Amino acid sequence: MDLDFLYDGVLIWDGAMGTVLQQRGLPPGGKPELLNFTDPDLLRAIYREYIEAGSQIVCANTFGASAPKLAGTGRTVDEVVSAAVAIAREAAEGTDVKVALDMGPLGELLEPLGTLPFERAYEYFKEAAVAGEKAGADLVSIETMTDLYEAKAALLAVKENTNLPVFVTMSFEQNGRTFTGCTIPSMARTLEGMGADAIGLNCSLGPDLLAPLLKELCENTRLPVIAKPNAGLPDPATGEYGMGPEEFVNALLPCLEAGVTIFGGCCGTSPDYIRALAKALEASLGLRSNDRPGGLRPALGERHSASPNDRPGGLRPHGFVCSAMTPCRLSGVRVIGERINPTGKKRFQQALVERDLDYILDVAVQQEDAGADILDVNVGHPGVDEAALLPLVVKKIQSAVSLPLQLDSTNPDALEAGLRVYNGKAAVNSVNGERAVLDRILPIVKKYGASVVGLCLDEKGIPQTAEGRVAIARRILDAALSYGIPAEDVWIDCLTLTVSAQQEQAAETLKAVRLVREELGLQVVLGVSNISFGLPNRAAVTRSFLTQAMAAGLTLPIINPNQREMMDAVAAFKVLSGEDAGSRAYIARFADAAPSQGAIPAPAGGGALTLEDAIARGLEGDAGRLAREALQSQDEISLVEQRLIPALDKVGADYEAGRAFLPQLLSAAQAAQAVFEVIKASVAEKGGAPVKKGRFVIATVKGDVHDIGKNIVRTVMENYGYDAMDLGRDVPPEAVLETVQRQDIKLVGLSALMTTTLPAMEETIKLLRTLPVPPVIWVGGAVVTPEHAARMGADYYAKDARRSVEIARKVFGA
Amino acid sequence: MELNIEEPLRYLGVRGGPDPALRTEMSAIADKLTKAVTPRYVYRVFPVGRTAEGIALTGSGLTLTGEMARTMLADCSQAVLLACTLGAGFEALLRAEQARSMARAAMLDACGSAWVEAGCDQAEGEIAARFPGLYLTDRFSPGYGDLPLALQRDICAILDAPRQLGVQVTDSFLMNPSKSVTAVIGLSERPQPARIRGCGFCNLRENCQYRKEGKNCGS
Repeated sequence: MDLDFLYDGVLIWDGAMGTVLQQRGLPPGGKPELLNFTDPDLLRAIYREYIEAGSQIVCANTFGASAPKLAGTGRTVDEVVSAAVAIAREAAEGTDVKVALDMGPLGELLEPLGTLPFERAYEYFKEAAVAGEKAGADLVSIETMTDLYEAKAALLAVKENTNLPVFVTMSFEQNGRTFTGCTIPSMARTLEGMGADAIGLNCSLGPDLLAPLLKELCENTRLPVIAKPNAGLPDPATGEYGMGPEEFVNALLPCLEAGVTIFGGCCGTSPDYIRALAKALEASLGLRSNDRPGGLRPALGERHSASPNDRPGGLRPHGFVCSAMTPCRLSGVRVIGERINPTGKKRFQQALVERDLDYILDVAVQQEDAGADILDVNVGHPGVDEAALLPLVVKKIQSAVSLPLQLDSTNPDALEAGLRVYNGKAAVNSVNGERAVLDRILPIVKKYGASVVGLCLDEKGIPQTAEGRVAIARRILDAALSYGIPAEDVWIDCLTLTVSAQQEQAAETLKAVRLVREELGLQVVLGVSNISFGLPNRAAVTRSFLTQAMAAGLTLPIINPNQREMMDAVAAFKVLSGEDAGSRAYIARFADAAPSQGAIPAPAGGGALTLEDAIARGLEGDAGRLAREALQSQDEISLVEQRLIPALDKVGADYEAGRAFLPQLLSAAQAAQAVFEVIKASVAEKGGAPVKKGRFVIATVKGDVHDIGKNIVRTVMENYGYDAMDLGRDVPPEAVLETVQRQDIKLVGLSALMTTTLPAMEETIKLLRTLPVPPVIWVGGAVVTPEHAARMGADYYAKDARRSVEIARKVFGA
Repeated sequence: MELNIEEPLRYLGVRGGPDPALRTEMSAIADKLTKAVTPRYVYRVFPVGRTAEGIALTGSGLTLTGEMARTMLADCSQAVLLACTLGAGFEALLRAEQARSMARAAMLDACGSAWVEAGCDQAEGEIAARFPGLYLTDRFSPGYGDLPLALQRDICAILDAPRQLGVQVTDSFLMNPSKSVTAVIGLSERPQPARIRGCGFCNLRENCQYRKEGKNCGS
């Protein structure tokens, strides 16, 4: 479809459907989609009123036309979409008003907040989008989204399965975030990168409160911007919206100046609001086009004067990556953490092979806490199916860490799989000057709107001169531009060579950094640590090189953020470069340097800290250190059996007796975890088999979506050396059965939180009991009682984590 | 709005002379939570009608059946439906904390329970101020007495809670985000006695360590 209409002037959309229907008798909570069958005349009448008032686009009555929301109505998505689009089409007959397929949220929360997988959400949206195109919609409007991840699933579904233009609007709160914490820059840059045709804000607030947010949105996108506010805020007592048409329009008009070009209304608005809006826009712009009734042509700013890629004046001097919650503007030095990478790390390799995602998450969390801005994620290792693993790792990290990620792989399938499930705008590491590589990777980068790292090498190797590397950088930039990737999304890695091997190359690298910044104006990446390989006191060389490189123009150092001196060097550089205004961040960095305290105070009396004390007091760092010392004189197994377990038991006994409480039990468990990490690393170094006392399955049953209780039990049991297969929450009985069979599991723990999910627990137990040799089953959780446990046929009831450990001991005999 | 750390300490079963380090840490967590997350709520007021089936909330399409609603709203001309949540922001904090420290996560979880209750208290204060001549009943929630848990879904639908607050109710009537509460409050011309006492009316009854040990927090 010709998109000129988007850039042609101001467009007037329609106003609310839902609240208008309620005014005309639909009860609150009723399903408006069913009116497509029961009262099409009412819908047609409303559309005609909107069109007569000046609407140039109307939304088909399909906000809730998705499989989850239509469940139980007896109607399919296809039926509802066909009927709804046809009704809107009839109302628009004889005009050039466009009909939009309206797609609202699915009404189920996506992972990690809810349990709906991204892939399922995509399928739901795909069904609606395909039906919409078939039914003759002119465009798709994805609206009222509060989860960027859900908006992404919908946008992908429309782009991959239809040829329709697609608008995306999201709902923000006054604090500039959606319910799920998405920021406006994150929304703008992610959706623009993914190929939305127009983006904007709808619902949640009136035009007065939405105006500053719309301004921020206009500053963060080159796309046409949509405003569809509510008619003020609803009165809590009555549910009535507070703003009349005139007030609404007066508050909305200033958004023209900010750059908004598509206007409409959401909850509480009606045809009267649209009529007032059309009038006011006409008066304000003073122009009326002859060929399109109600069409208006404002004097548009440069912002909307050309197509997205050749718009001069580059609104956007800075590169950008983000997660939904954390935007990262590349307006200075930003640290890329390098630790999620198996190269040379046996323990990490073991985690990859075992798919120990918790270990990888732990590495991510440490780097976030150390102050990294972006995390590089590399899970390539022989024997690992990277295309299968990378998306799992991306999801796992994004469940708890909000930093933007840089997906590091040469495997295009892995990159595509990872970018697909990534929530936000990611970076890809990397391409190089080889034509085949560029042609393989850049289309994927473009499709998902990512940034891309280009290495200054090609099939002939690494040029020995700075000029040679810049020539490759230029080639990479040209290729990226030809694929429609904007220059600010192209990052150049000038390549750090080991100074002990090729001493003269350090200066060439620094020179290349300077030239890329000066001549191409691109972001510059360097894997800094490589410089000092093979030298003693590596940190001194690395830090010195880092500082010189930043002075030369390095903006994206890839370093180990856990090395304090490297992060100190970055902090100091930001003071000297003026980026850290007033040295505020630098001062704060050193003001907060006091180490954190464990949950349990030191016992009275002095004496050297023992491993047992460190565990009892929850001192993770000390426990790890003392365990390393102990391993000098003791093997791993005896350390576990003779020291770790007895120490945990003592805390457990105190907990039983009411002398210690849950936080302390868990702190001790964490200190024990630190000891286990030392043991695992030691075993991995020696190439031995991991210390494991028995493997159990643990799951929160189907229907239960909150799982902190189960996680607490798992943590404590793991720290006794039991190997957990955590199936998560909302786990169907079949999934438990399947794992038990496949992995030959002897012990299964089930947790339920609500009386409404006890039947699912019972069902799971029954299913497990059909096995020839069923596992031992123990149950627990908020509402579960010993009586329930007995009645449902469980072997044991555990009131807490401590009791669960005792059950495991009985089962595994250790 | 304030978070009194005695509440989360109690939820975690901390008894006796609480350890000062534990209190300090709990205070720090409470502080971080209250800075990062503000409870949000919506409510609507409906006239009360009495029908053969129960207490009808006129204009909502909802009738509250059973003894609980009948007793609580016996004296009331109007009733308020309330939903309050800490939102997805709390869930993100809790997930991140679980990845760092399960001990701190357990404390944060307890603080969250207290904080969403503080949000309900705030809403209640606002309602009381809106209706200066009227008296409020105790706040009661689906799952209390014979008030069915399934009502959570109806209340959320009537309050448009998915859109207004980002709260969803699952098929098993769990609310997501986890720190979410729905409640009913009656408005009466006459002073209302405190009717809600004991574990049967406590939002935490499901997770209460005291109850699991056959005790209660009042003893």
